[in-house]
Amino acid sequence: MTQLILFNVMNGLIIGAFYALMAIGLSLIMSLSDVINFAHGGFLAVGAYLAYSLAPYIGFWGGLLVAPVLTAILGLIVEKFLISRVYGRDPLYSLLLTFGLAFIFEDGTRYIWGAQSLPYQVPGWLMSPLSSSFFFLTGYRMLMIVLIVAVVAGLFVIMTRTRLGLRIRAGTLDLETVSILGVNVRILRNLNFGIGIYLAGLAGVLAAGQLGLQPTIGDSLIMPSFIAIIIGGLGSLTGTLLGGLLIGVAQGITTVFFPSASEAVMYVMMALVLLVRPQGLLGEEGRF
Amino acid sequence: MSGYALVAEGLHTYYGKSHILHGISLKVGEGKITTILGRNGAGKSTTLRSLVGLTPAREGKITVFGTETTKLPPYAIAEMGVGFVPEGRKIFANLTVEENLKVPVDRPGKWTIQTVYELFPRLQERRNNKGRQLSGGEQEMLSIARALLLNPKILILDEPSQGLAPLIVREVFRIITQMRAEGMSVLLVEQNVRMSLEVADWVYVLNDGEIAYSGTAADLQADEALLQSLAGVSAEKWEI
Repeated sequence: MTQLILFNVMNGLIIGAFYALMAIGLSLIMSLSDVINFAHGGFLAVGAYLAYSLAPYIGFWGGLLVAPVLTAILGLIVEKFLISRVYGRDPLYSLLLTFGLAFIFEDGTRYIWGAQSLPYQVPGWLMSPLSSSFFFLTGYRMLMIVLIVAVVAGLFVIMTRTRLGLRIRAGTLDLETVSILGVNVRILRNLNFGIGIYLAGLAGVLAAGQLGLQPTIGDSLIMPSFIAIIIGGLGSLTGTLLGGLLIGVAQGITTVFFPSASEAVMYVMMALVLLVRPQGLLGEEGRF
Repeated sequence: MSGYALVAEGLHTYYGKSHILHGISLKVGEGKITTILGRNGAGKSTTLRSLVGLTPAREGKITVFGTETTKLPPYAIAEMGVGFVPEGRKIFANLTVEENLKVPVDRPGKWTIQTVYELFPRLQERRNNKGRQLSGGEQEMLSIARALLLNPKILILDEPSQGLAPLIVREVFRIITQMRAEGMSVLLVEQNVRMSLEVADWVYVLNDGEIAYSGTAADLQADEALLQSLAGVSAEKWEI
């Protein structure tokens, strides 16, 4: 029983880390650009398929390194030529635009790579369990956790130690004032979008090794990511991270005791948070 | 007067469909303090927002040291050496004092984080405090310090004395005259008529989006009747 619970908590942590990666990117974009990026799951799928296509040439590790960067570059281009055009307009415009983009990404990947699920090759030694009693602890799962922790820590450093990060944080509060201080806010929003999409691309590559490849790979992750933002508190990076992990673990535990509720549990959590602390667990005060 | 740092001609500015500025023309003398007076809603803040590019004028022309800036975005105007201290200070409450000072872009000049700390020692003491923990006076100093880090040739301030204790107001005006002494051109919007006439070289009075008076500060200060009649243009009373 203990092992079963541990197994599901571990599963929950990993899926929660995916939610968190997605949610942090969504939250960065939402805070600075006031755009709810429904195409985020589409970018995740692009990252996954790019890694798949690159792997024969540059190997698994090369794909892991390069695919998220290429996805981020695609993000920079999409922001510059499409998304930046709807800034400052009614939110309906950006909703429609990113919703349309999500469809384009999904059908685009289906057209290029096919509708059927593809296997994504992870080096064999990463797939074997670390010990026989904890069969669910594979090297790949450890790798995912280490990578996600490292990337989130790196993001924290960027946000608190670099001028780019300071300007993004200042801009989430008051972009107008950032612009009168001489900061090119078009470039700032562009780079911020790129950072968010990088995280989505990385989540995609890692998810491909865990869940396999299909054009709708991002769909199951996007709703929990929005909920992670609401639970953690919009604008708080730490809160969003916490929100993602909480949802994942809650899902894992619910799977053990009440499997049919594992989908519903995050909505219950969201409802509770909205009732008790509408600004989210680390909203406002935790705003960073 | 040697020349003009900033010249605006015939500005017409709108918020949506409401026409706020009706052909504002003004000049900011190089190395001088120019002040804009007027009651609430006269268009003072809108004039400044048009000059710095936040609410671009629909008609008219703005030049900064001879270069036209009418259609430029705010950050490009700032890059040319226009520092702006906005109404309500607008400091970043979620950042520390020191982080606030790292937001502006670097333009070469005497003002660095170190030299603004020398100008405002209080900010250095509070360098690790978040913006939201500062008093109104400290916020005003931070807002001025932040604008100075651009090493501006023109400093534009929107009601810097608003809501501050008299002692702090004196300090703010002392800084403004010090900037003029260092050769900076200053454009000041104020409700505090007495204080601004004391430091200003040239004064404009705005009423309903138009220039109602333009002259030297000394002339206006000397002519109590004129001052009263200009104040009487407004329904609200000035703080004279």
